[in-house]
Amino acid sequence: MKPATATAGIATGTAASDLGRVLAQRERRFAAALLAPAFMALLATTTFPLLFLIGTSAFRMDLAMPFADGFVGLENYRTLLTDDRFWSSLLVSLVYTGATVVLQVALGLALALLVMDMKRGQGWFRVVAILPVVLSPAVVGMIWRTFMLAPEFGIVDYLAINAGLGSKNWLGDPLLAMISVIVIHTWQWTPFAFMVLLASLASLPEDIYEAARLDRASAWQRFRRITLPLLRPAIVMVVIMRTMVALTAFAAIFTVTGGGPGTATEILNLYAYRKSFTELSIGYGSALAVALLIVTLLISGVLFALRRAK
Amino acid sequence: MTAKRFRFVATMIITLIFLLAWVFPIVWSVLNSLKTDQDVLAYPPKLIFQPTLEAYRDVLFGSGSILPNLISSFVISIGTTVITMLMAVPAAYALARLRFRGKKFAGFYVLATQMLPPVGIIIPYFLILRNIGWIDTYQGIILIYLSFSLPFAIWLLVSYFEDIPFEMEEAAYLDGASRMRTLWRIIIPQVRGGIAVTIVFVFLNAWNEFLFAVVLSGNTVRPVTVAMFNFVSVEQTLWAKLAAVSVLAMLPVVILGIIAQKNIVKGLTVGAVKGGGRR
Amino acid sequence: MTGRGQVRFEDIVKMHGEFSALKGVSFDIEPGEFFALLGPSGSGKSTTLRILAGLDAPTSGRVFIDGRDITATDARDRDIAMVFQSYALYPHMSVYENIAFPLEMAKLPVAEIDVAVKDAARKVKIEHLLDRKPGQLSGGQQQRCALARAIVRKARLFLLDEPLSNLDAKLRMETRAELKKLQRSLGVTAVYVTHDQEEAMTLADRMAVFMAGEIQQVGRPAEIFAKPNSIDVAAFIGSPPMNLLPARLADGDVIIAGHRLKTAMQAAGERDVVVGIRPGALRIAPDGLKARVELIEDLGDTKVLDLDCAGTAMRIRVGDESVPPEGAVISIAARPQDIHLFDPATRRRL
Repeated sequence: MKPATATAGIATGTAASDLGRVLAQRERRFAAALLAPAFMALLATTTFPLLFLIGTSAFRMDLAMPFADGFVGLENYRTLLTDDRFWSSLLVSLVYTGATVVLQVALGLALALLVMDMKRGQGWFRVVAILPVVLSPAVVGMIWRTFMLAPEFGIVDYLAINAGLGSKNWLGDPLLAMISVIVIHTWQWTPFAFMVLLASLASLPEDIYEAARLDRASAWQRFRRITLPLLRPAIVMVVIMRTMVALTAFAAIFTVTGGGPGTATEILNLYAYRKSFTELSIGYGSALAVALLIVTLLISGVLFALRRAK
Repeated sequence: MTAKRFRFVATMIITLIFLLAWVFPIVWSVLNSLKTDQDVLAYPPKLIFQPTLEAYRDVLFGSGSILPNLISSFVISIGTTVITMLMAVPAAYALARLRFRGKKFAGFYVLATQMLPPVGIIIPYFLILRNIGWIDTYQGIILIYLSFSLPFAIWLLVSYFEDIPFEMEEAAYLDGASRMRTLWRIIIPQVRGGIAVTIVFVFLNAWNEFLFAVVLSGNTVRPVTVAMFNFVSVEQTLWAKLAAVSVLAMLPVVILGIIAQKNIVKGLTVGAVKGGGRR
Repeated sequence: MTGRGQVRFEDIVKMHGEFSALKGVSFDIEPGEFFALLGPSGSGKSTTLRILAGLDAPTSGRVFIDGRDITATDARDRDIAMVFQSYALYPHMSVYENIAFPLEMAKLPVAEIDVAVKDAARKVKIEHLLDRKPGQLSGGQQQRCALARAIVRKARLFLLDEPLSNLDAKLRMETRAELKKLQRSLGVTAVYVTHDQEEAMTLADRMAVFMAGEIQQVGRPAEIFAKPNSIDVAAFIGSPPMNLLPARLADGDVIIAGHRLKTAMQAAGERDVVVGIRPGALRIAPDGLKARVELIEDLGDTKVLDLDCAGTAMRIRVGDESVPPEGAVISIAARPQDIHLFDPATRRRL
């Protein structure tokens, strides 16, 4: 019953695919025009500096002693491997990141579970939780450094005195300083973990819990066997995001301890900054920044592998 | 029943402690900003005191006023927001909607740029901007702020563009609208909400930025987050004024945060949901 | 307006990578005709419509409108209006602005637009809703708004992609009738995509039945119903579907379960066939095929009996006449001209 007009041939083929080609080409051009400004800006502000950075890391470049500048190849990296301060900053980075991320997720999850069961007052949490995360880490650091942790009249110290612990030098003692910066970071970003996990909890279907209850699963079993597996993607996402931020934390430490006392709270990121802009050793600072990039990539590689696993 | 009652009370206490812990440092700063220096330094800390706006008057209109720094912060944040949006809206539309070779790679590239630690960007840019005399200028700071605001804005906007059905564009096309007109008349009006949310977050991130600002600012351009340091020196800390400045620095972002309340989770997790592993 | 809107598809092929969505489709549509593209989902009917609209380009083949080859013509220059399944109303514009949009794009003067918009709105009876936003309309009103936006331009071709599928059953029936009246009064050529054979049967002047990227049959609905040219078309058209059972053809008679049925076929020799008989063409008659009543489905005005005929399931539709109880063994027959015969190998009509 087909109307037999099958005059297929080369001419037919071209006319048809012409439109396809024209449409595709027009789409490509339109896309290119729309993307061009943003991508030029991204190339200029991210890719280009990366190449430049790798370049400067191969130079001795000292703003205090410009006469000694020159190409040194991998010298900076060789120095780095035997630099105790580098290894200690790497360790501080890992401790800082590990501690803050674990605390944020653990506290955030616990609180999300508690608030989820609350019949009233959830709204308060949703509003209050926003406050810390929208603040500048620089302002947060400043407030903690002064009104919270200053000896005697800082509230934390005041509570410590009244608890019989006596006044402490919260930011002057290496161990206490480390604990302080970890607490401050945790204070500011636990609400983030809390909000994400609460949203994720709220999106879990109610009926599976009802089914589990009918199957006589206890509260703990429901948590272990249902809630946790279903929340896993959200938890992994929070871990990944917070790890990336903690590794490159700057203001939150810089404004509180400046990396001190000594180098007690100097994470790798801060070391690269201090080397470059305080000690003006740009070449070596660049090598430290490249090292930080490599550490970041390694850790995120592991985390993404974890995310894909299972 | 008693076990249930106990659990309820325990929950209340724990959650209240958290609420208090989050609110307190902020409220305490506000209270301190309304005190005199003597009241700030009183031991034990004073909760009841004669409030005064003296600190605000001093930091805003006294010598060493931070008014210029607040203005700097606004200029930088608004400038960054405007330029970012002008570039990000078209780019996000293309990534969300158009078909072209290399689209996956382009999307991945936008995400990957965020892996670069900011310190690795500022070292080369410090050298470059110093050479062209752009240290302590608005254009220098705004340019480098694009490194974090653009990827963020693009990914957040992509998620909004993707919510619009494809048929919308086809209908407009059959109705005789050109691609540019379709984007402008049909698509953008439908993502107004998403654009507003993106603007809030880009502004917020620019306002809060510290590392780039500390390196690139000078006597002419110094945002308030950096200028705060003037109130804390080795010799003395100007307590009440510092509190007042902190409150002024917090005010805009707290207001914006509360406005964007419903979208805050989406804004904070942008890119992670979509990107990372899958794209 | 008649004389406009003649369509010709010439051997259209559409490949999506290795997958061929259309495997050489050809058909003609006459001006003023209501033409339905009918088929199950994934059969290529929507692709065909999109190629006609210019939203997709064919891999090979040619499309003509009014005798002109428009295969390489941009969608905007084809003078075609379309109603989408989701309606694709612009949510930020009022109903008025939605309807006015195509005219605005054509740069018509404001006064002219105003007249045309109100005229189109009156034709679909939504003139009282012009100030509303699409989100404030019911499903049926949205559908009318989409129709108005399509007819306002007085395009030469009017494409409809499952326009009724988002309406509830009652509204769908009403709208169906109105749609047909509207198309007649406008005298415009309409191409209508649907997977609902009843919709196609009632609306279309002619229709093309799609299966797996190919057109199985083109013709008037009644013609296709009466003479489906393949097993697949036979199974797709009609509700409940045609009974299809394997049988043996011997000298013009089919043998089913040991029983001989006369057919209209004049052929000597023996072969395997597939017999098709519509449930409505079967009658309860003495000394016919023996079958047991398994289940009675009461549809109100008619009843459908599920039968077991020597292990093969069959259905018969009966009217008000005395209905045997479930479990009874009855005898059924069909007129020779109501028995369709298909080749089991080629699946074509014999």
